Amino acid sequence: MARKFTLVLLLGLLFTRALSAQTTFPVMTAFQDAILYAGPGDSHIQLRWLPAGVPVEARERNVIGNWLFVSTPDDGIRGWVPTGYLNANPDLHLSDIPINAEIPDGDPANVPALSVASLYATPIISPVSAAMLDVFARGQELGNRANVITKVGDSLTADPMYLTVISQEAVVLGPYDYLADTVSYYGESTALASVAAQIGMATYTVFDPMWADPALCNAGESPLECDYRRKLPSIAFIMFGPNDVLHNNAEEFAQNMRDIVEFTLERGIIPVLSTFSYSPENEYWWQSVDFNQAVIDVAAEYEVPLINLWAAARPLDNYGLETTDGTHMNRSGFTFLKYDSGHESWYGLSLRNLLSLKMLDDLRLALISDEPGD
Amino acid sequence: MYIMKRLGLILLLLTLAACGGAASGGDPADVVERYLTAKVAGDGDALRPLLCSPMEALFSREVNSFSTVEGARLENMDCTRQGDTDVVTCTGEIVATYGTETNRFPLSSYRVVQEDGEWKWCGESG
Repeated sequence: MARKFTLVLLLGLLFTRALSAQTTFPVMTAFQDAILYAGPGDSHIQLRWLPAGVPVEARERNVIGNWLFVSTPDDGIRGWVPTGYLNANPDLHLSDIPINAEIPDGDPANVPALSVASLYATPIISPVSAAMLDVFARGQELGNRANVITKVGDSLTADPMYLTVISQEAVVLGPYDYLADTVSYYGESTALASVAAQIGMATYTVFDPMWADPALCNAGESPLECDYRRKLPSIAFIMFGPNDVLHNNAEEFAQNMRDIVEFTLERGIIPVLSTFSYSPENEYWWQSVDFNQAVIDVAAEYEVPLINLWAAARPLDNYGLETTDGTHMNRSGFTFLKYDSGHESWYGLSLRNLLSLKMLDDLRLALISDEPGD
Repeated sequence: MYIMKRLGLILLLLTLAACGGAASGGDPADVVERYLTAKVAGDGDALRPLLCSPMEALFSREVNSFSTVEGARLENMDCTRQGDTDVVTCTGEIVATYGTETNRFPLSSYRVVQEDGEWKWCGESG
């Protein structure tokens, strides 16, 4: 009798859990007709249209959460869509949505030009290699601060709306609730301006002492050396390319990137590299493809983290770039991070911040999850 | 005739003085000023002979340093050698624009060395 009761209780519990799991998918609608893809990226096959206003369940997400696998309850309409194409639903908490990490971010088989296939094939967020755990540990011995990050690059990176904005109290994560701990862990450190991120900077000036602020840096110190000394960061977000592509060749650019990566690793700082978005209408388009490939190759060579901003920004209007200059990433107009309105699917700067936060989240979990009190 | 001889003598003395200057490598402050001018202009032909041997490997960095900004120019440059030392201190700044932003790079102190009798720029003075 007791065994029967237990069995009924168990079945009842399983049924309740199954029902609960079945009914927890948030229901959403697209605010305009949207294309559904076979995977979380615009290089995947286009399946069909999702008509505006048709309710669909958010059943899975990519690792970042900026793409959702949606389906009507009867499975009649299914496919992947950028999260920002859907009307905001306060019940959407990406931490509750199952992650589908099996489908790659891109499908190079559908890319018409072979030269960019490799760029599409590279994951948007690379895994954190075991080598970075050693780098972090060495950095801690050298006195680097675990919760301090810095940024290195040109005007796209110097922009106070990139990462620095995390230091503000008003950060609206919306559905990206899983990033909250990371924002609070690193946020404060982003308020300190970086000497190594300046307007007009390129890979060949980051080592030029003439570009170092004499009010902050020692005589003869390069901007990179000065910034690392002042901030003692554990992670450096590094992106170059838009300036270099105008005056440099891919081989020299790759060597300069290697120099920057080696300089960073020697100081126990994890360099997070990033490809850069570029428009095919720009006259330097083909050079930019080579430069971005160089970034990917250097990241692989040193097993350092890589953000493939180039691929992630392809579905955005004008590739997430300002229409006025085609170089800088366009912005939402808000002066704080705001992810409850789908900005990451429309504005380059919002997307770049999101990808950087996701990479930081992965790094934090890999590097400090075992720290006492964490 | 006498005046012509005097003029010739003066010209000869001036030429010898100039040659003497060249033999001792010229004025290090002038070398630094020429280096800064060439760097800001991105003039590789003028820049290359002013770099000391260790800096030759950084030629690309030096000649491209201000290529990403527009209208880079030197303002109020004045360089002076510090006594008989290998340090030349400059005042003034490099001013450049990037879009609507203006960048200012204050000049500082630089190290000079003599190579084959010629003064060369050899980096910032730390």
